[in-house]
Amino acid sequence: MALWPNKRRKETARVCDANASPFAVFENVGLTIGQRKILEGLTLSLDERRIGVIGLNGSGKSTFIRMLNGLRTPDTGDLKLFGAGFAEAEQELPHHVGFVFQNPDHQAIFPTVEEEIAFGLTQLGADKAESRIRALEFLERHGCAELATSPIAELSEGQKQLICILAVLVMEPRLLVLDEPMTSLDALASRRIRDKLLSLPQKIVMVSHDLSHFEGFDRILWLEDGRLRMDGNPHEVLAAYCRDIDGRSGIKMELAAL
Amino acid sequence: MISIYLQKESWIHRTPAGFKLLAVAIASLLLFQVKSIWIFLPCLAVVLGLYASLGREGLAQLKLLRGLTMFLVILLALHWVSGTFWEGVAIIMRLIVLFLAANLVSITTRMDDMLEVIQPLFKPLQLFGLSSRKPALGVTLVLRFAPHMLQVFSILREAYQARTGARGSWRLLAPFAIQSLRMSDNVAEALKARGGSQGLSR
Repeated sequence: MALWPNKRRKETARVCDANASPFAVFENVGLTIGQRKILEGLTLSLDERRIGVIGLNGSGKSTFIRMLNGLRTPDTGDLKLFGAGFAEAEQELPHHVGFVFQNPDHQAIFPTVEEEIAFGLTQLGADKAESRIRALEFLERHGCAELATSPIAELSEGQKQLICILAVLVMEPRLLVLDEPMTSLDALASRRIRDKLLSLPQKIVMVSHDLSHFEGFDRILWLEDGRLRMDGNPHEVLAAYCRDIDGRSGIKMELAAL
Repeated sequence: MISIYLQKESWIHRTPAGFKLLAVAIASLLLFQVKSIWIFLPCLAVVLGLYASLGREGLAQLKLLRGLTMFLVILLALHWVSGTFWEGVAIIMRLIVLFLAANLVSITTRMDDMLEVIQPLFKPLQLFGLSSRKPALGVTLVLRFAPHMLQVFSILREAYQARTGARGSWRLLAPFAIQSLRMSDNVAEALKARGGSQGLSR
């Protein structure tokens, strides 16, 4: 028994509804860091299975998707995630939202593949022995059993990114949020990762600069200077985005066949 | 941030994590009582022998010492200026022996094994309602990422050398500090994204 009870250790009732629809509702959400408005006046709700986020560098894409996992906290407006207010949902969000970082080197904490996968299971309460066994089974199910003992530092970029995605998936999130996951990959690895993502049952929100990655997506959000410039079906939004880029640069941009 | 681990089936890998950490702790306590370089020399030979027992990959790890060179040279210079040159040599040898021993544990021990050994040491905190996992994870991460920090410094040194021809400079300290802070931010964010240091339970 604790001599000095810690209030934070108290069991709290679950506030999120994993099946909430829509899973995210933004009402006039904004975030200012220093003097700079990173996000401003965002009002939208997210419910589709595959949602893409586009925009130029510094448009607020990464901040926007980090809010879905509780990695960034809005300072204005009202954000509801999985049916609960942001403040109440924040601690619970990693249960429901898996986050894949742009650079696998920034995500993987553990030295070997099996440890990295097992960590997610220990986070959910499994003991060391159980998490090791379940991690190996999970890797086998995803065709990566031969990588189990490999040091992550020695894997190819594509393998590293795949392991980072698996390390998140092992926690069985309802939503997978990906921040430019194919940036450092070659064409083949990029294609494999994309096919893997499209085969997943989870809902997906993905940021990418490569518009061809949005093939099969249901909805695209275009952010500009922290605001939502356009929101709609991929064909319309991507075409408008390309026209905008053309207009700014004078260079023709190829729109991937959708 | 991906930490360094030497994948191998060696006797050092098979040695229990608790034994390895205890050995380094005892060696640290004993070596801090020693001032003679004649005692440090055989200690250094033993540590180098341990690396050699890991084969070529083990010996390749000794390159990490290059990241320490500048600090060691500054330390030696300060002792030389203050007229305690041989004391400086002894201090440097002690640092090298302990650094190599700690690195050996880090590259041959799974992180979850290390965590399992360290966490019970923080159990008394539970009496006060505090988490034992949080500080244990902190210590484990420090042990795990120490070799990685030296690699970061080596990369900075190479980039500096490529543009200036000089092997190192005190100017590298600021970018090194910034990169270290960035690295800790990345690790913290990656940890938070998966439920933080306390973990989740369904």
